[in-house]
Amino acid sequence: MDNLEDLKIVTEQWWKQGIEFVQQIPPSQLYTAIGVLLLATIWLLSIRLFRRTKSNTVLLSGLSGSGKTMLFYQLRDGSSHQGAVTSMEPNEGTFVLHNENTMKGKVKPVHLVDVPGHSRLRSKLEEYLPRAAAVVFVVDALEFLPNIRVASEYLYDILTNTSVVKNKIPVLLCCNKTDKVTAHTKEFIRKQMEKEIEKLRVSRSAISTADIANDFTLGIEGEVFSFSHCQNKVTVAEASGLTGETDQVQAFIREHVKP
Amino acid sequence: MLEQLLIFTRGGLILWTCKEIGNALKGSPIDTLIRSCLLEERSGAVSFNYDAPGAAYTLKWTFHNDLGLVFVAVYQRILHLLYVDDLLSMVKQSFSEIYDPKRMAYDDFDETFRQLRIEAEARAEELRKTKQVGKPVSSVKKQGQVSKPGLEGGNKRVSEGGSKKDDGDGNKAKVSTLTNGHSNGNHQMEDDSQETDLANGKENTSSNVAVDLSKLQKLRSKGVRGRGGVRKTDSIGNKSSKVAAAEPAKKATKKNRVWDDAAPKQSKLDFTDSIAENGNNDHVDIVAADQGESMMDKEEVFSSDSESEDDDEPGSDEKPAEAKKKGWFSSVFQSITGKANLERTDLGPALKALKERLMTKNVVEEIAEKLCESVEASLEGKKLSSFTRISSTVQAAMEDALVRILTPRRSIDILRDVHAAKEQRKPYVVVFVGVNGVGKSTNLAKVAYWLQQHKVSVMMAACDTFRSGAVEQLRTHARRLQIPIFEKGYEKDPAVVAKEAIQEATRNGSDVVLVDTAGRMQDNEPLMRALSKLINLNQPDLVLFVGEALVGNDAVDQLSKFNQKLSDLSTSGNPRLIDGILLTKFDTIDDKVGAALSMVYISGSPVMFVGCGQSYTDLKKLNVKAIVKTLLK
Repeated sequence: MDNLEDLKIVTEQWWKQGIEFVQQIPPSQLYTAIGVLLLATIWLLSIRLFRRTKSNTVLLSGLSGSGKTMLFYQLRDGSSHQGAVTSMEPNEGTFVLHNENTMKGKVKPVHLVDVPGHSRLRSKLEEYLPRAAAVVFVVDALEFLPNIRVASEYLYDILTNTSVVKNKIPVLLCCNKTDKVTAHTKEFIRKQMEKEIEKLRVSRSAISTADIANDFTLGIEGEVFSFSHCQNKVTVAEASGLTGETDQVQAFIREHVKP
Repeated sequence: MLEQLLIFTRGGLILWTCKEIGNALKGSPIDTLIRSCLLEERSGAVSFNYDAPGAAYTLKWTFHNDLGLVFVAVYQRILHLLYVDDLLSMVKQSFSEIYDPKRMAYDDFDETFRQLRIEAEARAEELRKTKQVGKPVSSVKKQGQVSKPGLEGGNKRVSEGGSKKDDGDGNKAKVSTLTNGHSNGNHQMEDDSQETDLANGKENTSSNVAVDLSKLQKLRSKGVRGRGGVRKTDSIGNKSSKVAAAEPAKKATKKNRVWDDAAPKQSKLDFTDSIAENGNNDHVDIVAADQGESMMDKEEVFSSDSESEDDDEPGSDEKPAEAKKKGWFSSVFQSITGKANLERTDLGPALKALKERLMTKNVVEEIAEKLCESVEASLEGKKLSSFTRISSTVQAAMEDALVRILTPRRSIDILRDVHAAKEQRKPYVVVFVGVNGVGKSTNLAKVAYWLQQHKVSVMMAACDTFRSGAVEQLRTHARRLQIPIFEKGYEKDPAVVAKEAIQEATRNGSDVVLVDTAGRMQDNEPLMRALSKLINLNQPDLVLFVGEALVGNDAVDQLSKFNQKLSDLSTSGNPRLIDGILLTKFDTIDDKVGAALSMVYISGSPVMFVGCGQSYTDLKKLNVKAIVKTLLK
């Protein structure tokens, strides 16, 4: 009983002392102190909230042999050097895009990642997707039709990936090797991919309750799939890794990695 | 003469090619090397052979794991260049001195390379001259080949790139008689060359199968030795024709075995009821009620609690006690400083322990050995990162390699293929093959149940016309699952039965036809021929090899022989090989899951289903991560 009384008295004394102390501080200092505290917390919160969308990672993905490594080096150095072979590991780099070296003003460096397309290394893509700001899906416009099934499956897996759907990561379907005469046009490729994905969608959602292969389904029920149905933006562009025609890809990257 | 020498990064960028030798390589040997050898964890192999129309190359490589560089030398297979290994290591050394990650062009290396090449050639010439034993041979080059049996064996013959296997065998026959007399060290080289030739043929025809045929060659040569070792070139055509000749004579005179009890001779052993049901069969008419979801569709839940245990393991790995004391302290020291370059001697004990661990998990010994070599090749020379022990680095690398092997190379979405076939209005044909008693018929029923659950119409074809009761067994399953079955009784030609079954399926609109075949041992020539005939005649969409998880070292033999027979006895230019594996009796093994790894490594085909019980729902997909964890536990 006594102890409690004592405690009460002690706490009251401290409380009084605290209030006196606070009242002694000139009001301006007090307000500035509080102001600084508030500002700091607001700043930290905003950093945490907005850091995700400020990611500057762009992924280059696609089947093995579609030309991702060449594109990577074109974007970085402006030349594809002496060519490339099948990649066994991802190529990563943070740099300013080559054409932008001459641009004035502050340009934000892009963290470009070239993920190997070989099916055995497919799991590497999963590691990078959560942090991606944009994905470039490279397709070989020359050897398009023989590989269309595998390519469409890969694209379907990307479009239904959790991170891509939740963060609405924009995807660019880049038709590479367009410098060759027999390369298909981007319209043709787009239509064919839409058709294949439609087939995939039908076969995978017909067994939807049992199928756990994909986390999400694409498109709208009852309508033929089209890229405009995707919640994230999907656009098509042409490029040539060999000759260095990468303007459309660069525009896409610049658009989504805002300085 | 060297065709080409390339230096490229692991990320794929070519840093330097030899500009002196301006020949463009035919085909794409480097890409094929990467895809079928280096990414398949066969980087421990000595060399790789590549065939393209118009050229036959051999490739040799070496890694610089620390800088992440790969050095590849390409040369014609008919030439036997002694200096390639030497040259590669010298190039590696000198290039790593001038390598800079920021630099992309290394033109100054041309000069260095030229000098290195001259040096290497000179050194090889000297060695050759000193080892000349003075045997009368046709050419000087062959001499060098004979005297160095340890080197990669390139046979001195003209090899037409992409030639049919028969021609290849015929050529080998001619040359080996020449070289046979010369040295006894030839044997190993013959093996290598034969192995590599067959490997090429396969690379060419079905690029999605990485068949390891070195086992095959060893077996074949073993057989040859048994017969007196006369002709080393036992081309398969010869062997099979001999047996085939013996066959018809045997078949005509086959009689029933009469036991001592002198049981009355039965005129007909076929007890199938000609028309469907008698009164006795009513009790099996109970239709299998929906037994719930097949485990294929259930998500695999596995605990991740054992991850922390892995770190405690390495201490117990270093079995040799005396090495333990010295090794432990130095490894701890190294792990803290983390600066040492990994050498083979460092990796040795850790890899040995890992290999033994794999073998206790029922992985075939040769495969564990190959895997360890491959991991060694990829780690040698790498800098140890700080605060990691050698054993944990090795473990991580092995884990990576295992995941890579077990991840399927192509999509194993059967339902999608079924839908694709449906659109073309053809039934999707699956043939179940395997040795005796692995569970083909049981698992066929499970697959049928699973497909049925996914609203696919299935039809069974009873092409096991040999085993008593096989047709009835399938009939019972069909009745329980309420799916049509096509049967023709016993003692019929399975290939013809299958053909008719497929026609029937096309007629009545079934989506999938599941063909059950009789179990057969991989050594049984006539049965393998019959199987090959079935496959050739019907061209199924999926050839599923059913293997049990209990199998030990025989797994390698089974799969490689099946593949070999299927490809040899195939009539078309594009032989159908095993497309997928169905692993059965998985519930009987607790954690000895190595058979899965052995089978996938040896055949290159993915595991499509895993049978884990004896009821209809016990069919699931292979969980790669769980298996890898179990293997390395």
